[in-house]
Amino acid sequence: MIASILAQGTDWIRPHADWHALAPEIVLVVGINLVLLIDLWLDDAKKWMMATLTGFVLLAAFIPVVTLAVIGDDVRSMFFDRYVVDEYALILKAMFLLIGYVVVLISQNELEEGGYYQGEFYLMLLVSVLGMVMMTSSRDLVSIFVALELLSIPAYMMAAWRKRDTKSNEAGVKYYLLGVFASGVLLYGMSYLYGTTGTTKLTEIGAALAEADAGPGLIAMQVVAVAFIIVGFGFKVSAVPFHTWAPDTYEGAPLPVTAFLSVASKAAGFVGLVTMLYVAMFAADGVYQPFLWILAALTMSVGNVLALRQTNIVRMLAYSSVSQGGFILMPLAVLATGDAAESALKSVVIYLLIYAFSNLGAFAVILAVSRKTRSGEISSFGGLMSYAPGMGLLMTLFLASLAGIPPFGIWIAKLQAFKTVLDAGGTAAYTLAVIAAVNTVIAAAYYMKVLREMWMKPAPDGDTTPINTPQPIWAALTICAAGTVVLGILPGLVLRFADLQDLTGALGGG
Amino acid sequence: MYAVNFLLLSAALFSIGVFGVIARRNAVMVLMSIELILNSVNLNLVAFALINKDIDGHIFALFVIAVAAAEVGVGLGMVLMIYRNRRSIALDELSEMHG
Amino acid sequence: MDYSNNALLTIGTFLPLVGVLIMMFIPGSDERAHKQIAIITSGATLAVGIYTLIQFDYGNSATLQFAVNEEWIEVIKSNYIIGLDGISLPLYVLSMAVTFLVAVYTWNNVPDAGNPKAFLMLMLVLQVGMAGSFIAQDLILFFVFFELVLLPMYFMIGVWGGEDRQYASLKFFLYTMFGSALMLVAFLALFFQTGAESFSFEHLMAAGALIDHDVQVWIFAGMFIGFAVKVPMFPFHTWLPDAHTQAPTQGSVILAAILLKLGTYGFVRIALPMLPQGAHEWAPVIGILAVIGIIYGALGCLAQTDMKRLIAFSSVAHMGFVMLGISTLTTFGINAALFGMVAHGLITGMLFFVAGSIKHRYHTLEIKRLSGLLIQMPKMGWILGFAAMASLGLPGLAGFWGEFPVILAAYSPAFGVNEALFRTLMVIAAMGTVLAAGYLLWLFQRTAMGDPNPEFVSHDEPAQSLSAAANHGADADHHDEIHDVTIVEWIAWMPFLVAIVVFGVYPQLMFKVMDPAVIQLVERVGNGIP
Repeated sequence: MIASILAQGTDWIRPHADWHALAPEIVLVVGINLVLLIDLWLDDAKKWMMATLTGFVLLAAFIPVVTLAVIGDDVRSMFFDRYVVDEYALILKAMFLLIGYVVVLISQNELEEGGYYQGEFYLMLLVSVLGMVMMTSSRDLVSIFVALELLSIPAYMMAAWRKRDTKSNEAGVKYYLLGVFASGVLLYGMSYLYGTTGTTKLTEIGAALAEADAGPGLIAMQVVAVAFIIVGFGFKVSAVPFHTWAPDTYEGAPLPVTAFLSVASKAAGFVGLVTMLYVAMFAADGVYQPFLWILAALTMSVGNVLALRQTNIVRMLAYSSVSQGGFILMPLAVLATGDAAESALKSVVIYLLIYAFSNLGAFAVILAVSRKTRSGEISSFGGLMSYAPGMGLLMTLFLASLAGIPPFGIWIAKLQAFKTVLDAGGTAAYTLAVIAAVNTVIAAAYYMKVLREMWMKPAPDGDTTPINTPQPIWAALTICAAGTVVLGILPGLVLRFADLQDLTGALGGG
Repeated sequence: MYAVNFLLLSAALFSIGVFGVIARRNAVMVLMSIELILNSVNLNLVAFALINKDIDGHIFALFVIAVAAAEVGVGLGMVLMIYRNRRSIALDELSEMHG
Repeated sequence: MDYSNNALLTIGTFLPLVGVLIMMFIPGSDERAHKQIAIITSGATLAVGIYTLIQFDYGNSATLQFAVNEEWIEVIKSNYIIGLDGISLPLYVLSMAVTFLVAVYTWNNVPDAGNPKAFLMLMLVLQVGMAGSFIAQDLILFFVFFELVLLPMYFMIGVWGGEDRQYASLKFFLYTMFGSALMLVAFLALFFQTGAESFSFEHLMAAGALIDHDVQVWIFAGMFIGFAVKVPMFPFHTWLPDAHTQAPTQGSVILAAILLKLGTYGFVRIALPMLPQGAHEWAPVIGILAVIGIIYGALGCLAQTDMKRLIAFSSVAHMGFVMLGISTLTTFGINAALFGMVAHGLITGMLFFVAGSIKHRYHTLEIKRLSGLLIQMPKMGWILGFAAMASLGLPGLAGFWGEFPVILAAYSPAFGVNEALFRTLMVIAAMGTVLAAGYLLWLFQRTAMGDPNPEFVSHDEPAQSLSAAANHGADADHHDEIHDVTIVEWIAWMPFLVAIVVFGVYPQLMFKVMDPAVIQLVERVGNGIP
């Protein structure tokens, strides 16, 4: 019996596995098991050690990413090109690991003081980060789907982490239902894509679609597939009109989780979308370009208008993050026009990176301030400059970056997005650029609202006792501030990693 | 061709599922509708695997089944959680936050 | 172009950030230390500026000196290109001098809201943006520096300003933001129209002139609005009186002396040479709006009851002269405009200093309530008189050289620009100078002459006549309030006063530096016309 099975297996080729390239994932998996096991034997008083351990795991996973980046820029592909570690994947892996680390730093005190489950939380966080790290390398429908679920399912639970708090429940349930629904729609699209091209490998799908596009044109099922896939990712990146879960989830979830969701989970959605668009669906530009155009225009406008009337700062940032998503989508709407592809890729990557730093930073400040004020209202930021100037300065930096004011961070990403769209040319592109320009000014208005509160209004109730900010939050703030400033002034540091050749050329797709 | 029947059935299941997600207020019913969607996907994948005569679709379907199990596990946990806190699993009552 | 990659300009521009970094780590309660650091840093910056002045090759002021060209943001083809020529040198050094003197003035004149730490830090950041704008030779770099001044100024007005500070600061912010957005669009359009190769001024000046006529006109329109908001020119000026009136003294001085010049400098450095045909088409519009600004500003001045607001409106009028000079597109006119920029910076800066000090003492700037400054504070009164004379363009003082040549230049604008129109503008502008004399002398007469307002005297007199000991405690504040120019004020103001006289008596000092650069610029504009 066994012999016959083995005999059948002789034509089985052992897939090539590059252990160095897989090291970040392996370290994370080992770390996950360590956290799971150690948590079992640790008594409650020592649970704080889990945060340190998780931090070490994330940093340890960071090391191979660095060595891979230093060693060279060759594309390491495994499992018959289904799992690829290129520069695009590396820079995003680095980003996700760093986000994970910052989230550990800012959750530590919140979890300890709130008396929440700690070991389990960090376990979920690590699993979710693992999913994201996998997402950057996945070049197959199955692995993209698995990565997406791996990063989402723990995130659903994290959103509902305050299990006695009905708001947190609501946040988790809404996020869960819409997330799973989106996965279903995405999967349905993927199944059509698989059915009509006969493969789950993205490069082959790309080739098949390109062939169909060049010849008889896409068949209806392929059009539906592309549309469904964009809708599926649209939920993940909270693009309007699929954004309805975002504000409620962000407001209800514990703040560190909100920070994590608004940055990492969203970025992972974009990574999946970008990989699908560039490698698999590039030829279907007739379908996705107009679709993404509408999504981008709606997302930035609606997000902004709703952000304008918020009085709760977390909710405001939630809508602002929706609107920022529109800006990230913008260059993708002209993806296949002319030679915009490379410029668009750079735009998305740099935007995701700087946005991650700035938004995480803003959330870290909110977390630090709310430890004192116990409030999420914008008015609770009154007089921040008078009693916590350092914190105020950092918040100014992060919000100025989000508003796109040079030389802080996001301006360069916005500029790159504008440049891409204008470079592509055409009435549609110009219109989109104008919409984006108007939105930039509108966005400035609500970020300024917070700045005005901090700088020019007195503290509510005249309470100007200084805030007591724990060390880990300061560390997180330092990382975010450094990222925001450095990337704003020297974006070249990371932009070279967004290499189009690596993503599509080496694989024969595109 | 007979394969079309599978696809039609799956499309019908998908539509029913989407309708259920949108129209149902009961959390468990919504979960079941989502299961319908996922199963329509499975049906699609298996049917396509038959048409394409390769195994990828079957494998994909297995992954979907496994992940769906995990998802439903989490989902039921959440439903239980809201039931404990509010003694109700009606979704439209979940509206503490809006704006 | 010869890029020496000399670090001098980089040091001069970014040195204030060192001070900011040090201040960041000193607690805000140690106000003295912060003031010291701010003065030392801005002083050191000024020293670098003076060293730059010494090192500058005056025989060669048409070419960029101390030029640096380093790779910066490769993907958008923007480089770190900086350099200094005859046009930017005076403004570059002026920005350093003004920041230093304002820092000195802050020594015992911290605005009411307190917190000198944040205030001085913002001021130093502001300095980086201002100096950077004058040395940038790359559009994106210029834009970054140009925008860098936005937030610090916004906070300066909004936090340390007068009663309506929030309204004024928001207005300032929104206007500027709106202008910047259009400006950026124009920059990008220019970039793409010139083949999307480089953002460097050198490239854009060579390639921009070749763009189609109609396209040039449109791109120029975008830049026009962006810069005109900053200048500010007539229809976009409404933020200025509010901003000036509400801003703290230091903010007003910096705003008047340097920030407004960013707009006019942008016209001269960017809009004109890069889009010569656009400039030609727009010249009459700029000329007309400039003259409307002159008259409107002057009439506005006559109607003001608040001294600071009056000076703000006079700024609108003076910047009108500068813009009129630029719009003639002649060597003569642009030279005069550049001179006018520096002169206006010195004179109006001085006027705002005086206004600030008067406000500090009387707690009001209402012209009706102020009178007899010459009796109560003779030195202050005479400084006000001196600055007013300089402002109205008295020959022998700096203001004259910013106005009179402009009027002359308008008589014969560049070839192809409507001569009849500009001669009409000339006549109207000349009437503007008469109005200027009117409102400034009237201001001086109402505030400085006559008897002191009894409401301020009544506290003062008894203090001297009655037993000093009895009143010492109660009236100590008032003794403190109405006193003449203090030492710190003298130190801060003297350089302004000296410069106004020196440049007034010997304008060649500046004209000589600017002229070769301006000649080259005007040639460039001329060559761009087919």
